[in-house]
Amino acid sequence: MAAPLTLLLIVAVTIRAVLFRSSLAELIPERVEVVSPLNAWKRVVEGLALLDLGVSPYAGDVFHETPLIIYFFHFVIDYAEIVFMVMTRLVGCVFLLQFRKQKYALEAERYPLDCLELIRTPKEMYYIPLKVAMFYLLNPFTILSCVAKSTCGLNNAVIALFILCTVKGSSLMSAIFLALATYQSIYPLTLFAPALLYLLQRLYIPVNWQRSSFWLFTTQYTFMYLGSLCVMVCLSFFLLSSWDFLSSVYGFILSVPDLTPNIGLFWYFFAEMFEHFRLFFICVFQINVFFYTIPLSIKLKEHPIFLIFMQIAIISIFKSYPTVGDIALYMAFLPAWNHLYRFLRNIFLVSVVLLACSALFPVLWHLWIYAGSANSNFYYAITLLFNVAQILLVSDYFYAYLRREHHLTHGLYLKRKDGSEATLVLK
Amino acid sequence: MVPNLTNYLFLSEIMQAKAGQFFSSGHTNNWAVLVCTSRFWFNYRHVANTLSVYRSVKRLGIPDSHIVLMLADDMACNHRNPKPATVFSHKNMELNVYGDDVEVDYRGYEVTVENFLRVLTGRLPPSTPRSKRLLSDDHSNILIYLTGTHTQMECGYNELLFIIDTCQGASMYERFYSPNLMALASSQVGEDSLSHQPDLAIGVHLMDRYTFYLLEFLEDIHPASTANMNDLFKVCPKSQCVSTPGHRTDLFLRDSGNVLITDFFGSVRKVEITMETINLTAPMVHLAVERPVSELKTESQSYVDQLPVAEIIHQKPKQRDWHPPDGFILGLWTLILLVFFKTYGAKHLKHIF
Repeated sequence: MAAPLTLLLIVAVTIRAVLFRSSLAELIPERVEVVSPLNAWKRVVEGLALLDLGVSPYAGDVFHETPLIIYFFHFVIDYAEIVFMVMTRLVGCVFLLQFRKQKYALEAERYPLDCLELIRTPKEMYYIPLKVAMFYLLNPFTILSCVAKSTCGLNNAVIALFILCTVKGSSLMSAIFLALATYQSIYPLTLFAPALLYLLQRLYIPVNWQRSSFWLFTTQYTFMYLGSLCVMVCLSFFLLSSWDFLSSVYGFILSVPDLTPNIGLFWYFFAEMFEHFRLFFICVFQINVFFYTIPLSIKLKEHPIFLIFMQIAIISIFKSYPTVGDIALYMAFLPAWNHLYRFLRNIFLVSVVLLACSALFPVLWHLWIYAGSANSNFYYAITLLFNVAQILLVSDYFYAYLRREHHLTHGLYLKRKDGSEATLVLK
Repeated sequence: MVPNLTNYLFLSEIMQAKAGQFFSSGHTNNWAVLVCTSRFWFNYRHVANTLSVYRSVKRLGIPDSHIVLMLADDMACNHRNPKPATVFSHKNMELNVYGDDVEVDYRGYEVTVENFLRVLTGRLPPSTPRSKRLLSDDHSNILIYLTGTHTQMECGYNELLFIIDTCQGASMYERFYSPNLMALASSQVGEDSLSHQPDLAIGVHLMDRYTFYLLEFLEDIHPASTANMNDLFKVCPKSQCVSTPGHRTDLFLRDSGNVLITDFFGSVRKVEITMETINLTAPMVHLAVERPVSELKTESQSYVDQLPVAEIIHQKPKQRDWHPPDGFILGLWTLILLVFFKTYGAKHLKHIF
């Protein structure tokens, strides 16, 4: 495993280094699909420059990063490219490590015999971590995001570390990294539920409302999480001795004042909306991100890792300023579910639409902004299509997962009572 | 010989009278601020109004450098214009008022109430170019023409003529209190100012009535004409305009019968070459003053001096001045260490202590 991993890392670093030195390095940080007002490198530099001039970086609408990022980049700003490359490599390694721990052993003997083909063999599973790392490191989206030096890479690293700690079972570290991820952008809050479920499963505590051990652990974890979040927020206060980072970071994420086009769904709606209804629709859109947590947690309470995948996908589709870096994070998980391949129904459609939309984004941007022969409707249409394809991908995997579970409990070749072949209908 | 001498004396008297008249109004330069405030294609006529007045004013001598033209929308290059790069003020497209020498100073979204007031009061940011400024002085006569939909002078001026072609235009001049100001409006309070002619090919109305008749009147004015303001007040009576044009002259010092149209619509650039010596002992109220040396030129020189190029090129990169507070660093690293030791057990502590 070490040799292929090293090779992979070398290839990934080479690609990024080549792109950093080429002329694309000026072009890519300007693309709106790759950077957003929240994580653009240009804004980080602006914020630090403002700080050197003695002005708070949160004055004005330039800088929307958290104070810990200020602290971090204050020292490494000259080595930014290296930092970002290291970050992505870290994520790759982290993914690798965590997927080694996949508990395929638990699925061994409880199933009907004809389901043997559904169970993954250890031989297949051996290569999954490498494939996951490869999917992340060589994904064009990740490469673009890294070359653009968007701090999305940092956010991804924190989430990956969080998943690693959760999988390893260390609830303190998991809570701390989750708090860090939430502190960076609010949306990883929804990952609290799957993390809790996984840790409970690992400690063999059944999710039963009457059990005291369940409540004990839950309160422990909640306190650790909330405590670390409070500590981080207070620490950030001491960096600049002011609370204005709260409205600049969290107020900005939640109230979406900046309507620069991106690959998300917010900008067009809010550009067209009357002021009167703005608050209502902001609430609706933001609740939409958090809303799927509870139903999904109820359905997937035995499969928390898949739940994590679903939540990350939902966050990156419905968040207020998504970029391709967020998409790369959940796409990296896809090799972990390659045993679901036989149940996926929309592979061709989804992959073609995603490819086509990725190609059309720069084209329609150019037509809209530079040539003037298209308008924002064209670009938003592609955005919509891109997000629909992502939603289709996620729901397809969900269906495949549930179907596999169903087959595992009821047998692969379903028969009706009279012995004829039954068909499975999704209701 | 004697008749010649009499003729000579008579001529010189006429010269003197004319010279007196030349200097009687007391202004030495003319400015015009022409504003069209309405946007969108169906307000074509307002832009046509303003451009027609612009054309007349230029024809009568005011140069582009002394005209501030503010148009809120671009009709000539509008996608709906069947004849691009033209703006017609007469149907059957007799007169293209756009031409090829129109100089628009404020366009599109720059035409706001705030900018209009800033132009008039001179309170513009220092980076504003000269073409966007009203650089009038105490001896300027200013013509302000406003049209469009529904809007205390502090700029330096000698006399001001305000023409307003909007609905209820009189409401605007009723509020004026600055001295030496004359105002004309196309309609009274409660009346609407109406448009004149629709053109079927372009599809919109081309002109407003008041401005149409105003321009018909102005077409007969040439730089040396002696028509006065009373004639201007008679333009567009109710029978032609449907709305009642009004005017206000109580704030104006001179009698309106003595004010020439060209005092406002034209530019004082008349040069009469004479070989006669004119005796200027008659009392003159205003002597011809030299144009004051424009202060702006000296300003710009000192600005350039402030930034020598060599200094800019060889600026060293700034040293980083900001450092995070010590308490923060301490707190952060203590926490990190605590978490580290909690996770990996206290046995590592023995390596330190």
